Amino acid sequence: MSESIIDHIVSQRPEHDGALTVTSLGSRVRMPLSEFHDRARAVAGALLREGVRRGDRIGVLAANRLEWVLLDLAALMIGAQTAGFEPGKFTPDTELVDRYGLDRLYTDAAVPGPVPAAVRPIEEIAAHARTEPPDLEPVAYDPLDRTTVKFTSGSTGIPKGLEATVGSIDSSLRDVQALFDHRPGDDLLVFLPLSLLQQRYWLYSALRWGHDVTITTYQSVFAVMPAVNPTVVMGVPAFFDTARRHIEARVADGLESGKAAAELFGDRIRYLWTGSAPADPAMLRALEEAGLPIFEGYGLNETCIATKNHPGAHRPGSVGRPLPGKTVLIDEEGVVCVRSDHPVNTAYTYAAEGESERMFKPGGVVRTGDLGRLDEDGFLYILGRADDVIVLDNGKKIIVRPIEARFRDTGAVTECVLCCPDQTGLVAVVSPPAGPVDPAVIAAALASVNAASEPDERIDRVIVADEPFSIDNGLLTSQFKPVRKRILDRYRDRIADPKEGLHAE
Amino acid sequence: MPSELDTLARTHLSQVLRDRPDPASLVLDEDLAAEYGLTSLNKVLFLTSLCKAAGVGLDAFTEDDLAGMRTLGDVVDALKPHAALKG
Repeated sequence: MSESIIDHIVSQRPEHDGALTVTSLGSRVRMPLSEFHDRARAVAGALLREGVRRGDRIGVLAANRLEWVLLDLAALMIGAQTAGFEPGKFTPDTELVDRYGLDRLYTDAAVPGPVPAAVRPIEEIAAHARTEPPDLEPVAYDPLDRTTVKFTSGSTGIPKGLEATVGSIDSSLRDVQALFDHRPGDDLLVFLPLSLLQQRYWLYSALRWGHDVTITTYQSVFAVMPAVNPTVVMGVPAFFDTARRHIEARVADGLESGKAAAELFGDRIRYLWTGSAPADPAMLRALEEAGLPIFEGYGLNETCIATKNHPGAHRPGSVGRPLPGKTVLIDEEGVVCVRSDHPVNTAYTYAAEGESERMFKPGGVVRTGDLGRLDEDGFLYILGRADDVIVLDNGKKIIVRPIEARFRDTGAVTECVLCCPDQTGLVAVVSPPAGPVDPAVIAAALASVNAASEPDERIDRVIVADEPFSIDNGLLTSQFKPVRKRILDRYRDRIADPKEGLHAE
Repeated sequence: MPSELDTLARTHLSQVLRDRPDPASLVLDEDLAAEYGLTSLNKVLFLTSLCKAAGVGLDAFTEDDLAGMRTLGDVVDALKPHAALKG
């Protein structure tokens, strides 16, 4: 196998002209990647002086910011493992430190109660970065070494932890580069949370191949994007849906579509990257027509990027062909299975009993649970999501069934179906018990469900159905399961109206 | 009587709302997210287009400022000191 990309980026100070920009509303920092590498080495030196050693685990619970990526590269330089926690989803407390075996946790979030010894303000990293960078003994990684822990939604509500191997990261970076040829002059815009390993890939790619990378936040992305003038933007479908609606509104006001697109994205877009949830074909078409090529792909945390449309092989409606290091198999039940030359891992490090066995199969195979088919040319089409996952427009994934079960279990409703009309908050349509409906009882049930849920899983509004779901009214199957699509269609107007329904306190 | 900035803010808010309501029907002290269903992404689109139309530099604001703008009135008040228009 050729040289490890991770080995390369930790040991080689960039000699190219690539630059890193970190920007948000009201702030902007830009530096050559060579300087960034020096500053990360200074952070690495400071961590070593403080006693951090190879194999230690450093948690990061912070919004996208320069210190995040300085710490990430510094940890790679000394062989410490990172664990990226999504802001708002975790609390920087002793329980988090203990649950995930953290030697340190750097955060910009408020710490409730007394600050545990392992928890440090992430501003310390900025101070470390200003120290003199030392000469470091280069760390060499084995393909099976694991540089980071990534977290994925678990059916119990507690996120599952998965350690990613160096071999899988190298393989994904190399394969993506072969498809898209990112090069000097490109500027890849990242705004989804850096706790998602794939977002950090684009920094690794910039360090290795000499293009620019810009990091911003979900809150600021639309404000800063025209000034950044990126060539590539990575986003989930819901983000591009919002962009499409905005462009269409500007066209309705009389602006030409290419100009409306440039007003929002800048005028240098080479392509847009999307995945992680099904994309609306109308959105994909609309952006293409506005002069913005968009490529859909497919992959889970457990497989990394498995398939991807790209300029050399693009079939709209599909999620592309497998990357060179991946093989897609459809099993006898129609479920998509992905085999990797370099698997992300073969088990979760943190998960409820049986979860690893359900997902990871022998031979580097992951059984995704999604239904799909391959066409005669090897393009993959996803036919359904077995787990009913909602992906919010900030990239957060919500598995709806455990939350629906929680609502049913209160006894205040007989059925619950969740949806997310604007990709930012959950709305429940509930089937009331037969007889008069007492809104106070349902409101109390909503409060108790939300109290037992993780922050992202909380329900904003409840629409109480006009009549209980039944087989006769077509809202239950013959096995008494709710017919999700029909229920959501029937109550579409009330779901879309933010004033409708019972609101969470 | 509404000010020039107030009118401009209503127009631009209406443009990012799904059903494009009559700008005059928008209420200054209603919560933008809870009452009008304004998402975070559309909120920043709204502020961006309003700032452009009002000749206010976006760099006058931070993410914390944006988070503090919960109503149309908050947005108008935040822009007033920077706007060339009659507040």
